[in-house]
Amino acid sequence: MAQVTLSGIRKRYGSVDVIKGIDLQIHEGEFMVFVGPSGCGKSTTLRMIAGLEDITAGDLLIDGVRANQLRPVDRGAAMVFQSYALYPHMTVADNMGFALRMAGVTAAERSAQVGRAAETLRISHLLERYPRELSGGERQRVAIGRAIVRKPKVFLFDEPLSNLDAALRVNMRIELCRLHAELGATMIYVTHDQVEAMTMGSRIAVFNAGGIEQVGAPLALYDRPANEFVAAFLGAPRINLVSQPQADGSAAHRALWTLLADGRPDRVVRVGWRPEHVRVVAADTGIPAQVVLAEHLGDTSILYLRVEGVTELLHAKVAAGGPHLQPGVRIGLSARGDTVIGFDQHGCQVS
Amino acid sequence: MRGLRLSPGMAPYVLLSPFLLLFAVFGLFPLLFSLYLAFQVWEPTDGLAAMHFVGLDNFRFALGDAWFWKSLRNTVWMALASGIPQHAVAIPLACFLQAAFRQRWRDLMIGAFFLPYITSTVAIAIMFSSLFSTDFGLVNLGLATLHGLPGLSWLTPDHPIDWLGRPENIKPAISLIVFWRYVGFNMVLYLAALQTIPADLYEAAAMDGASHLQQFRHITLPSLRPMIYFAVTLSVIGGLQLFEEPFILTGGRGGSDQAGMSTAIYLYRMAFDFNDFGAASAMSWLLFFMVAGLTWLTNRALRPQGPAQ
Repeated sequence: MAQVTLSGIRKRYGSVDVIKGIDLQIHEGEFMVFVGPSGCGKSTTLRMIAGLEDITAGDLLIDGVRANQLRPVDRGAAMVFQSYALYPHMTVADNMGFALRMAGVTAAERSAQVGRAAETLRISHLLERYPRELSGGERQRVAIGRAIVRKPKVFLFDEPLSNLDAALRVNMRIELCRLHAELGATMIYVTHDQVEAMTMGSRIAVFNAGGIEQVGAPLALYDRPANEFVAAFLGAPRINLVSQPQADGSAAHRALWTLLADGRPDRVVRVGWRPEHVRVVAADTGIPAQVVLAEHLGDTSILYLRVEGVTELLHAKVAAGGPHLQPGVRIGLSARGDTVIGFDQHGCQVS
Repeated sequence: MRGLRLSPGMAPYVLLSPFLLLFAVFGLFPLLFSLYLAFQVWEPTDGLAAMHFVGLDNFRFALGDAWFWKSLRNTVWMALASGIPQHAVAIPLACFLQAAFRQRWRDLMIGAFFLPYITSTVAIAIMFSSLFSTDFGLVNLGLATLHGLPGLSWLTPDHPIDWLGRPENIKPAISLIVFWRYVGFNMVLYLAALQTIPADLYEAAAMDGASHLQQFRHITLPSLRPMIYFAVTLSVIGGLQLFEEPFILTGGRGGSDQAGMSTAIYLYRMAFDFNDFGAASAMSWLLFFMVAGLTWLTNRALRPQGPAQ
């Protein structure tokens, strides 16, 4: 267990600034998730913590010790790679015991520790197999096992579940959360999948274009995003962003704006409206809208709605809508509670 | 025109026939004819009718022939002396080129190392016979210069070395040329294999605390194993069939005291100098069995381990 402190971390490739100054405190035993679109710098940051990339500027502290120049192994971090990176010519047991072997641990001690880790992950029966004989999920477990065996201070995960199919992904998600509770270790987890971020993290750091947009508990970020980027990144379907209508805007657009933004400060030029907070009512009672596309998922329905004068389609997530919500149908919209988020002209939240 | 059209059933055979014909005339027939000859005694100048069957006499003669055994010893000596360094140098060299050079410079280096492989053996042999020449060769000139330097005189000889004339020098000289010629070829093979090793294996090993040397030992070498198996097999087969380099450098006779006479040269001389085609055929088949046996051993020793791929 350890705490990891990043202060003013920068990374430059040639003349390109990839990471533009990151300050972040990761607490002991925390499950910290780095989330963001591809190319946002989350993996690079993780690799700098691991020691696989040099840090151009700034300080990395692990348990208060400056680790910028330490070799990866001396940082006490273990990493699980997206590709698993299992050694193909070694058995599962040898893969898991490799770090111990490099550290000069005796064969007997090694096999005892590997055995314990294998038990934790329920892969004891696979120890004599080679990686190519394993399924994707089993390989994933071995990769995690290889990290556990070393008893690292920090676990680093680089999109570990993205090569698994959907069902396995859910299982491994639960498994990793269980593991985190069991080991109580500090974990840093990189993903582009917002569901993983929301369900696994004690805290989430939302990355964008080489910086952190916001750090906080998942639901806090969801309910009170600092800016439009965070609001749009978390939540599926995406949050609806409705801009203030121009003076010559359509009647429907103006009515919608009044419904959502009434009573908010004048600085608010755009509002965010979560799809689950959109209420569908009879055509003549709310803001008039037309269904463009309806996705019936069984438990819920996702509607894509056009409001006259609003450029983007609105998303609405409603209880299983029944067959009458078909493309072309006219409906009315109203808001569910006071759940609208206001943004100023810079995209920052206005409370 | 319709009559000329090939039926679908015939087309493959017609299209294959040029190869099959050439293979039958220049591949299969000599093969079978040499097998037949191995059991005959034949003075070719007396025509085909002069053949007569002698059973295993040719094999008995070959196995009792001192020169045949000598040629085998020469061959194995040169195959080992040129073959082992080929791989011992090519693997580290490939790793070095992979790590130290960007794509374009690397390609240039590969081209330079590969050049000897595609150069005509005759040109190479002539070039080396001038390099190794006793009185005016660059090799002796270089050694003489080194000898003149302070501190190096005890390491280097004080008189010109007769590289291709003295029996004890012929095999090392030929081995050096063969090594020089094929090291680039092997390096290209290893470089290709190196490029297929995923970078994240090295990253995982670095995270696991492996030093560069340990990464070479535990990641690079095992990953190269299939290619080592392939390349060593080629070296074994090529080394045992060694012919051109010693043939040209020793004027086609094997050099003084037959020190550079490989088995391939001896059986060539047996046929075309001594006119004993039967014994030459028997020897070639004995050599073949040796090549096959050693290839099998290579296979046993180096075949990629683990479960079936």
